Amino acid sequence: MLKTAWAVALLRVVLVMAFLLLLVMQVMSVPGGLAYEVEQSPEMAYLRWPLLVVLEIQLLCGQVVIVCTWKLLTMVKDDRIFSERAFAWVDAILWAIAVAWVLLLAVFLYVGFNADDPGAPLLLMLPLTGGAVLGLLMIVMRALLRQATELRSDMEQVI
Amino acid sequence: MPIVVRIDVELAKRKMSVGEFAERVGLTPANVAVLKNGRAKAVRFSTLEAMCRVLECQPGDLLEWVDE
Repeated sequence: MLKTAWAVALLRVVLVMAFLLLLVMQVMSVPGGLAYEVEQSPEMAYLRWPLLVVLEIQLLCGQVVIVCTWKLLTMVKDDRIFSERAFAWVDAILWAIAVAWVLLLAVFLYVGFNADDPGAPLLLMLPLTGGAVLGLLMIVMRALLRQATELRSDMEQVI
Repeated sequence: MPIVVRIDVELAKRKMSVGEFAERVGLTPANVAVLKNGRAKAVRFSTLEAMCRVLECQPGDLLEWVDE
């Protein structure tokens, strides 16, 4: 249990850092970077706003996942994780991953059909595959949480 | 549930109060009430053993099957 407590504490530190990182990207790096790209290659200007919207939504999805993970960690600490209320946060994580993944798929398809060389599509395949693994793993873990929650509620009825 | 727990009969035989029984067995009065009114879904063997010890009876004296 001590190791779990350490992992949870460390995870919280990393989550805060990740959240701040996403926030910096959201308000500075992404808008700034896109503006710079458009300056460098004005013929790509039509991509600026759609790409900005997609990236901002994806970053927002990342923040949703972080906040929900934080809430779930609190529930783990208080031994309330095996309850119906945990599923709202787990479902929010699943939806956030799904939205970000679908957007990434759209970008991948657009890049794939317009690419001259396989470099960019292959590079996009990496987060696309990773996102699919993460999302499907979450579905498996959600099912495990469901089983554990039912076992816990069964055990609580034993006198 | 067609299995009923006959705590009240054994308690009456020994003139023991529900409160005393709960305390000696180590159950909460709420759980004793659950056992008595047949809403219990499962009982630990350790609980059954403690009840038999306190009431000086056999499990068969406490548990009874009734056809619904």
